[in-house]
Amino acid sequence: MPRLKHGLRMTDSPLLEAIDITKSYAGVRALSNATFELRAGEVHALIGENGAGKSTFIKIITGAVEADSGEIRLLGEPLADNSPRVSKALGIAAIYQQPALFRELSVAENIAIGLEQVESGIRIDWSERRSRAVDLLAQVGAKIDPDTEAGELTMPQQQLVEIARALGANARVLILDEPTASLSEEDTRKLFHLIRELRARGVGMIYISHRLEEMPMIADRVTVLRDGHTIDTRRMIDVDRQQLIRMMVGRELSAVFPQRQVETGEVVLELLGLGCVAAGIKDLSLSVRAGEIVGLAGLVGAGRTELARTIFGLTPADSGEILLRGEPVKISSPAQAIARGIAYLPEDRRRHGVVMELPISANITLASLDGLSRFGALDFRREREIAAQYTERLGIKTPAIYAPVSTLSGGNQQKVALSRWLMTQPSLLILDEPTQGIDIGAKWEIHALMTELTSQGVAILLISSELPEILGMSDRIAVMCGGTIAGILDRAEADQQKILALALTPALGEVDSTIRP
Amino acid sequence: MKPAIEHSLFLIPPWYSRIFPNNEWVLLIVLLIECAIFALTGSNFLTAANGFEVTRLVVEVGLLALALTPIVITGGIDLSVGSMMGLSAVVMGSLWRDAHLPMPVAICLALLVGLLGGALNALLITRLNFPPLIVTLGTFSLFRGLAEGLTRGIENYSGFAPQFLFLGQGYIGGVIPTQLFVLLPAIAVCAWWLHRTIFGRSLYAIGYSSEGSRYAGIPVTRRLGFIYTLSGLAASLAAIIYVAHLGQAKSDAGTGYELMAITAVVLGGASIFGGRGTVLGTVLGLFAIVILQNGLRLSSQPAELAGILTGTLLIVTILLDRFSKMRSSHRRIHTIAEKIEVKNSQVAVLSAVILIAALIVAGGNWLLAGSMRQEIRKLAGIQNQNAVPPTAVRKPVIAVMPKAKGDPYFISCRKGIDEAANEQGVEVLWDGPTDLDPAKQNEVVEAWITRGVDVIAVSVENEVAISTVLRKARERGIKVVTWDADSQKDARDFFINQATPQGIGYTLVDEAARILDGKGEFAIITASLSAANQNEWIRHIKARLAEKYPEMKLVAIQPSDGDRDRAFAETQNVLKVYPKVKLVMGIAAPAVPGAAEAVKQSGRTDVKVTGLSLPNMCKPYIHAGVIESIVLWNTVDLGYLTIYASRALSKGELRAGDSQLNAGRLGRIEIKGDQVLLGSPFIFNRQNIDRFDF
Amino acid sequence: MKLSRYKREISAALAYAALLMAVGVASPSFFSAANLSDLALNNAPVLLVAIGMTMVILVGQIDISVGSQFAVCSVAAGWLARSGVPVPLLLPCVLLIGASMGAFNGLLIGRMGLPSIIVTLAMLVFWRDALRWTTEGAWVQDLPTNFQWFGLGQAYGQLLIVAVAMAVLIGFSWMLRNLRQGRAIYAVGSDAEAARLAGIEPPSVIFNVFVLMGALTGMAALLNAVRFTSVPSNAGLGLELKAIAAVVVGGTAITGGRGRLLGTLIGAALLGTIGTALTFAGINPFWEKAIQGAIILAALAADRLIDEWRMRNQQ
Repeated sequence: MPRLKHGLRMTDSPLLEAIDITKSYAGVRALSNATFELRAGEVHALIGENGAGKSTFIKIITGAVEADSGEIRLLGEPLADNSPRVSKALGIAAIYQQPALFRELSVAENIAIGLEQVESGIRIDWSERRSRAVDLLAQVGAKIDPDTEAGELTMPQQQLVEIARALGANARVLILDEPTASLSEEDTRKLFHLIRELRARGVGMIYISHRLEEMPMIADRVTVLRDGHTIDTRRMIDVDRQQLIRMMVGRELSAVFPQRQVETGEVVLELLGLGCVAAGIKDLSLSVRAGEIVGLAGLVGAGRTELARTIFGLTPADSGEILLRGEPVKISSPAQAIARGIAYLPEDRRRHGVVMELPISANITLASLDGLSRFGALDFRREREIAAQYTERLGIKTPAIYAPVSTLSGGNQQKVALSRWLMTQPSLLILDEPTQGIDIGAKWEIHALMTELTSQGVAILLISSELPEILGMSDRIAVMCGGTIAGILDRAEADQQKILALALTPALGEVDSTIRP
Repeated sequence: MKPAIEHSLFLIPPWYSRIFPNNEWVLLIVLLIECAIFALTGSNFLTAANGFEVTRLVVEVGLLALALTPIVITGGIDLSVGSMMGLSAVVMGSLWRDAHLPMPVAICLALLVGLLGGALNALLITRLNFPPLIVTLGTFSLFRGLAEGLTRGIENYSGFAPQFLFLGQGYIGGVIPTQLFVLLPAIAVCAWWLHRTIFGRSLYAIGYSSEGSRYAGIPVTRRLGFIYTLSGLAASLAAIIYVAHLGQAKSDAGTGYELMAITAVVLGGASIFGGRGTVLGTVLGLFAIVILQNGLRLSSQPAELAGILTGTLLIVTILLDRFSKMRSSHRRIHTIAEKIEVKNSQVAVLSAVILIAALIVAGGNWLLAGSMRQEIRKLAGIQNQNAVPPTAVRKPVIAVMPKAKGDPYFISCRKGIDEAANEQGVEVLWDGPTDLDPAKQNEVVEAWITRGVDVIAVSVENEVAISTVLRKARERGIKVVTWDADSQKDARDFFINQATPQGIGYTLVDEAARILDGKGEFAIITASLSAANQNEWIRHIKARLAEKYPEMKLVAIQPSDGDRDRAFAETQNVLKVYPKVKLVMGIAAPAVPGAAEAVKQSGRTDVKVTGLSLPNMCKPYIHAGVIESIVLWNTVDLGYLTIYASRALSKGELRAGDSQLNAGRLGRIEIKGDQVLLGSPFIFNRQNIDRFDF
Repeated sequence: MKLSRYKREISAALAYAALLMAVGVASPSFFSAANLSDLALNNAPVLLVAIGMTMVILVGQIDISVGSQFAVCSVAAGWLARSGVPVPLLLPCVLLIGASMGAFNGLLIGRMGLPSIIVTLAMLVFWRDALRWTTEGAWVQDLPTNFQWFGLGQAYGQLLIVAVAMAVLIGFSWMLRNLRQGRAIYAVGSDAEAARLAGIEPPSVIFNVFVLMGALTGMAALLNAVRFTSVPSNAGLGLELKAIAAVVVGGTAITGGRGRLLGTLIGAALLGTIGTALTFAGINPFWEKAIQGAIILAALAADRLIDEWRMRNQQ
């Protein structure tokens, strides 16, 4: 093996080895003979499409899930009877994709509780807990009061607490599953700085992310997983983005964003001085035309999701006007919004986008049940037909339309969520992070679908934290800051720098002051 | 549309998972097994008449269970339905009797009360976002409390028009109970509504994820509000049927029904976390419980087995569900539940408890098998009739019912009953409610009618409620006696009278006057505030006071709910709040020792205790001088006499108009009119108490 | 900030203070030493059960079988005493019986992952009817003379009961706050999966909590039984609702993860005082249940009002 240029204290003997790991869930192979190696002082990226088995793989390393066969070795010693408790005691720490914080407990306790489980002594030292929390939060640069309840924190704050907790474990092996998913650019930079510091101290890190552009900045080596198999392990400097994508999807993707002709029609949605105290939206004006995609950019906490929720009636506006096709309307509930042709694909797919345990068919029809019924009675035959149509049209991979959505992979779940809104035949479609946490293949399909919809005259409001997506898809880009629009850019004039400059407009007030350094 | 893809998609789940999405077939099998066993062991179990009687009994609980099903599907719960029955019942009763409103108006207003009560729950749960468990725990107390407060616990509305009673007691076409025509449409509508409409679909969505449903445009608050309001309405409808069934409206209507309804719903496969559950499951669960109770009764097994078996059944069905889910291929992966790690010590505990449970169940089965053998012997007996000596004619079957099975008073009666049964060679069935419950008394009598007995002897909890069904028994040729407490006169042949309410009340007051020297304050500790007998006695006590002892003052009547510990606490309060009270009178068996212990611990030697209780539980206090005396009759003799009179009646040796009865060791017993008189109440005191052991 | 953490306890305490004030005006003799000690004694068993129930609810479960377990333990204590088991040995015996019943619940709920409300509903009917079947309603009488008050005499016996209850309350309060196992209860109740990933084993925690619940029920049953000279067979009817009501009125979230024993103490005191307070205030006992229900709902409403008041202050 060649020596890597970053690895200051890299040794040839692996820190952690996973050999021939196989795992099936109820007959479905999630991993087959996956093999992986991590050295001390290395950042080893693990990439693959959703459903490729990354999450299962790290759960097996941390003992959260038991493998059917195969072996995990730590410093050459096989790990027997692995469990989160055992792996923790051996110095393996993980940040999972879904923040695993205790909402009712304080931040300090959240940080301490996982660490204490492996320490000796059963008595708790509260002042020690607190000072440790203050110290760790300072390391990640988070300005969070350690006495706040974790449930009161925003998503990025929760993510920072998770990172602080993992840091505190003083782990030999640190696993980071999508740590930057909800972080601002600033916080991401800080995190990378921390990772480099840990690498210098000899910590081995497994880094999972969908953001391929992050990889060259941080990873030493990269392993690609596809359909439960480990495809290859390469040095990061030896591969480029295109090669990685090819390894992940197993084929060449020609263009990242579909080509599109803009033929905008009448103004579908117009917001005039919109405000909502509860959502933190103020004096916001914006318009979206038929067939147009308006991108909504901004930092986390700038009020993009909040704006979508206000338009959709989840937090009804208390000042200003909403005009639909020129007519002022009052929207005070999602039902009213749907009736007026507005659809909203929410950011949190698992909690809001779909009802996980309901069948695919019921999920697809959930927002248009009125149209499927006569005197309140459901027309089951039509429901099945329509559900089958959408399943086919969007290429949802499932054996049966009555299977619960929870059995699908993330990308297919998102397609179900999208089908629900297509079925309402909206004139305005609000997409909130439609491709977050979704594999490249599904991402491309969703982009293609957006193009198709605009050609049918649907107006789309696209919220995304991925600037390339915003730049690639939008006709116009509205940048939000502090709950209002900081500026609107045309496709031609927009670039990353301009957007960021607008997103950081200081005159527009604070952007989530608690997480800003 | 490319047909290739369409063909590869499964559109409809297999039929069994459509009908039984939550393994409800297990219950169907349980039902079949129950029916098979009881058909063998029970008398007249497998008859059309019994089938219909069973359905009559499930109507009230069934309505509650139906209304609870959608609530449980949304992940909620409603504990207040039983209490709402009590409130609706007394509102209807008082509007009809005291406000002289026509019955239909009273019914509508009672339904309105249910609607409002349900709306209160709905408001607190949906608008203020409180957890349903706590809200309905609060209204559980509130509704029952309002019912008791409005009627002061005493009012018992009865004397309803026959047209109204037909709803609960009549037959359509001679065999089908009227209220079945309420339940069946309710089941059908509920099944259609829950499984076939968009409303029902939205409830399932809410149950799985109420947040997610809101994002899909479902008006979650309105849906939840509707089902909680509906549940209140269903409870008041159940209350109306309950009143028509029993012929009386009282504040204790529907006590404990919420628990039975919840049991039926969860047994039927509904998940308490929401999202799962079917009407079919609820109905199967309901019948599994009710048929178990009915069958045990008809095969003369102890009613307590019903609870034990229901508990076991609940555990077994959810265990089966858990295991089938672990095997099933397309279910969410429960990482926690999937990993069942059991340590050795825990295996030991588990095995021990399962063993105990198994022994209890096995014991029950052994009893069942025992009675099965009897049946077989009976069958064999028919064939070999010539071989059987003529003396082995069938023993008369006398079914005896106490007010409450576990009450020490009735346990002492049973001593005499068993003694007489041995002497006379009769078979005695001993069954009744476990707690005071007029509806349950009706149920037991119905079962006896179906089973076919010679004599029914009942200690009546509520004379209006039981009389209809006793009349029905007489129509079927069964002799009926009442003992301990009487029904309406035309509903029975004889009343074994140990004391009239008047006699009891007067004797108690006279004894109190003797202790207090005719003047001073005293307090009463009664059973529950709505206990019918106690309220009757209190009426006579007050009358006697007014008539004969103007200087004695009754300052407080406190409830004990038949609980010794509560009687103890209430007496402590009385002693402190009314320092001038010199005598505490307990008029429920556990209340007297409870009061005595309180007086003893307070160190107040100037306060005495008297009342109506059993010698054994009061003995230590009588010897200690805390209890001055207790008033009662010889309960062993009462049971003894009941059996003698019943047997004589069944043999035709006792007829209307007789003036005396030969009752074994009691000698000749006087009969006055249609009452067999045991004698006057007896006063037990320090001198004579050691002669008695019951 | 600090005060707002106790807002749920405060709203219960305010309701309690209002009740005490009202009854104090109506009848000052309510605050006599004798009455207060009687109140403490009569509510000590409910408090012990409510302590266990607090932990069960904190861990995100519920136990509605405690009333039946209480009855089984009471009768068992009586039988053991009558059959000659020395009085000092009664406590360990009854604790063991209670703990094994709790362990059975714990196995099914913690280890097998069955829903607690169904398991304990099953055990509620199971134990109650099993007890009815075996005792046939007969009381346990003719107990040895040193059964009452453990043979210590009334004054010391009463002192012992209240002292034990308070010691248990303070002890568990301390453990819930300061021991790792105590915090694990909060963590599991807050998010069982997150707790597992943090190295806690939710099945064991849930199992242990149910064992403690059973043991505390046994202790409550024994301490209640020794106040008398005989043991009735129908003890503890409705005890589960009293205990749950005390816990939730005391501010513990029914969804788990949030609450304190201090609140449970206030809740138990509040609900346990209503009946006596009504008698002292000369209000007819017919209204007791209605007032009890109203107070539960009022405590909830107070909670929400304080929330809104806080929100307004923040803005």
